[in-house]
Amino acid sequence: MSRFFYAKLAATNLKKNAQTYLPYILTCIGTVMMYYIMVFLAENKGLGKMSGGFQVQAILNLGSYVIAIFAVIFLFYTHSFLIKRRKKEFGLFNILGMEKKHIARVLGFETLYVAVISLGAGLLGGILLSKLIFMVLLKILNFEVPLGFNVSGPALAAALVLFAVIFLLTLLNTLRQIHLAKPVELLQGGQTGEKEPKTKWPLVVIGTLSLGAGYYISLTTQSPLTALSQFFYAVLLVMVGTYCLFTAGSIAVLKLLRRNKRYYYQTRHFTAVAGMMYRMKQNAVGLANICIMATAVLVMVSTTVSLYVGMEDVLRTRYPQTIMISAPISTQQSVEGLQRSVHKVLAKHRLVVQDRLDYRYLFFPGNQEGGTVITAKSKISISNATSSLREYYLIPLEDYNRLTHKTVSLGDQEILIYSGSSKYENDTLTVLNRTFTVKERLDSFFEKSLERSSISGSYYIVVKDMDVIKTMEATLAKENRNESSGYNYYLGFDLDAGEADISAVYQDIRTAVGSDYPGSSIESPVAAKESFFAVYGGLFFLGIFLGALFIMATVLIIYYKQVSEGYDDKARFEIMQKVGMSREEVKGSIRSQVLTVFFLPLVTAGIHIAFAFPIITKLLAVLNLTNVGLFAWCLVGTILVFALFYALVYGLTAKVYYRIVSWGTSV
Amino acid sequence: MTILEVNNLKKVYTTRFGGSHVQALANVSFSVEQGEYAAIMGESGSGKTTLLNILAALDKPISGEVLLKGKRLSTIKEKEISAFRRENLGFVFQDFNLLDTFSLQDNIFLPLVLSGKSYEEMTRRLEPIACKLGIGDILAKYPYEVSGGQKQRCAVARALITKPQLILADEPTGSLDSQAAEGLLRLFNEINQEGQTLLMVTHSVKAASHAQRVLFIKDGEVFHQLYKAGMSDEVMYQKISDTLTTMATGGGRHE
Ligand SMILES: Nc1ncnc2c1ncn2[C@@H]1O[C@H](COP(=O)(O)OP(=O)(O)O)[C@@H](O)[C@H]1O
Ligand SMILES: [Mg+2]
Repeated sequence: MSRFFYAKLAATNLKKNAQTYLPYILTCIGTVMMYYIMVFLAENKGLGKMSGGFQVQAILNLGSYVIAIFAVIFLFYTHSFLIKRRKKEFGLFNILGMEKKHIARVLGFETLYVAVISLGAGLLGGILLSKLIFMVLLKILNFEVPLGFNVSGPALAAALVLFAVIFLLTLLNTLRQIHLAKPVELLQGGQTGEKEPKTKWPLVVIGTLSLGAGYYISLTTQSPLTALSQFFYAVLLVMVGTYCLFTAGSIAVLKLLRRNKRYYYQTRHFTAVAGMMYRMKQNAVGLANICIMATAVLVMVSTTVSLYVGMEDVLRTRYPQTIMISAPISTQQSVEGLQRSVHKVLAKHRLVVQDRLDYRYLFFPGNQEGGTVITAKSKISISNATSSLREYYLIPLEDYNRLTHKTVSLGDQEILIYSGSSKYENDTLTVLNRTFTVKERLDSFFEKSLERSSISGSYYIVVKDMDVIKTMEATLAKENRNESSGYNYYLGFDLDAGEADISAVYQDIRTAVGSDYPGSSIESPVAAKESFFAVYGGLFFLGIFLGALFIMATVLIIYYKQVSEGYDDKARFEIMQKVGMSREEVKGSIRSQVLTVFFLPLVTAGIHIAFAFPIITKLLAVLNLTNVGLFAWCLVGTILVFALFYALVYGLTAKVYYRIVSWGTSV
Repeated sequence: MTILEVNNLKKVYTTRFGGSHVQALANVSFSVEQGEYAAIMGESGSGKTTLLNILAALDKPISGEVLLKGKRLSTIKEKEISAFRRENLGFVFQDFNLLDTFSLQDNIFLPLVLSGKSYEEMTRRLEPIACKLGIGDILAKYPYEVSGGQKQRCAVARALITKPQLILADEPTGSLDSQAAEGLLRLFNEINQEGQTLLMVTHSVKAASHAQRVLFIKDGEVFHQLYKAGMSDEVMYQKISDTLTTMATGGGRHE
């Protein structure tokens, strides 16, 4: 047999299996395209040069890894599905006298065709689309649009290598399967899944426990910092739970239903239970995949959208005042010196300060354990079961009274304490070798204090005078074997001016104060805007981009599910009618089963999200988005759009399904 | 009493794209008496399955009528047809037509579940049938776990459990080895002796020789019929073979 023969046979095979291969090739093209574009953006020189571009490219780089991992898993999965359906064909070839090595050669050609088509079309599409996507990204980021169009060599190379390896791996995997199988097994290939599934109780238990644990973490995590470290575990637990419950849990429930004779032997339940059992056995993993991807899409898109939309909010939360200066004041420097420098700048710009807020303070982090604060750096831990990380701001009474227009008086050992939303329960506070009596617990503090921007809880503690603060600072320095560095001074105010003016003031203050007060920080929402746009815009872009990729994958899985079930249901459909079910009854029963299977992942994703809501809002707080309402709306919007899209996909694929099921029936 | 009466059935298939026409049945008439065991013989492609499908109201003839216990099938409403089929007819097919999603017991129960019978009633009915067919031990198994003969006996049980007026069997021995086929045919004779009316369609001479009467169809018409009337299986077998030879070697009307 000539070489040419195999090449031709491979082409015929692809054509013959177009119904399943075409969607596969389209997905390959789409994935290649998306991967190329992502790498193209991540290493684009022009983007890197823009301010904030570096952060964006770090995010995009991460995105390209996600796509690569996804591509490997997903294309492998769909390809193994294709091969499963074709095993019978291979068995037939084998029995008709083709040796396994001949089949391997045909498969090699098939893979080559698929690879060439996918890479060719995918890279071409990627190159054409990359310009458009690039402009969309710049628009999102609020960046200037540069001219010029280029093809990225490294991106091309990366895509070529990655997908060549993936295609090679799928081929090797197929050859392995064919090599191991006996011809008779190949012939039965399509039917080997018919065995009644066993109930795997351990998996059910593991699934229930890990899902419960995942939900528990989300519901009980209080502080945003712990949320950050726990979120990953919660996600893993929920994923494990989803896989276990979809595969083993569904079967267990159906078997329990079947054991209940009175329930099971009713016309409606009888076919539904058996039908669902079969469908779950066939599709559990695919459905769990859909569920997890749907959840991921919903979380990713809704969070990135709400961060992007809520950027102004975020800026306001992070930077409550237009100009915010905090500087360490050591012995040689004076607060008045700093004030004079700032006023000189403002006078130059002819601007008047509004809502001025200034106070001296001592700051340190610590673990709160009951009434005691652990401050030694070596002993502080970020997440600890019994204590939690807090930020402490010690402020002299003089400044407090001045800013609040009060006339409170305090003894040496007395303090006022403000602990934000969590209430401070103890009557005394022991910190840095001193024990204070709490004279009063404050309900509110300076409106625009730094506290609101902090992710771990903050304590504002008002002490008698600067002497107390200075002695405590000395103790703190000794504890951490540092030089004594004095105390801090915060000066913040708003300006009634345009962004350009504020930007100029900000720059002048930086020059004026920065060199005289080393270690000082000068911040302004106007200055931060660019880098916020870069980070949140980059995340927003990534969210939408990956969301699109996942949706594409979901569509393909659904399509394959429908096609494979269609062929199997066709035979069943005919038998049931012969045994005395009416056409309408059969149709109704199949429709309700297909619908159940279809919307099960979506509903489960909804439940996951409902449970994840608390922990996600805490994570967003880390990113300074405290507007829970905004996030809730974005989430609802995303869910609605996704559900609409999902229903659309269902409608389209259901058509294919019903065409297969009713094709050729003379009834 | 006549259970089934078939008058002048005609069926023409039109291919999917409306191109060619295939005449499966030209003009078929015959009747089956209560308690009778009749076989219809014909070559592959002679329209046997088509005929059975029409008898079962799974398909509609172009002209002609089918009467079951005097009731014209064409007058039954679309909605009632499957209930009618379930209650009056039992089926045994060449490829068993058992659902692989159900255990054998549930396959047998299927028509009763569809009729809304209670579990107790179903088990009560199954017991004697399972005992007679010797499938009591395998009821919990699934179709893919048992042999062809066992599958076919379960299909027979499924046909019997509704106590139908008439059992229709389409090449019931077609997928069985000779031993299993022999067993099934003996079973049919037993069932028939207990009063069950049977109509079997087959191209196996061996199978047909067990019936009391054999109808031959050729070119879409009933060509000839033979009565067993006390003959032994062997003699009947010889007679059927002779008839087939005559049919094939120009004894027909057309040659
Ligand atoms: N659904 C159909 N569409 C078109 N032609 C059919 C169809 N079913 C059967 N035929 C044709 O009708 C004839 C009779 O078929 P059938 O009743 O299956 O024969 P038998 O069961 O005796 O082998 C054959 O020529 C067959 O090709
Ligand atoms: Mg036939």
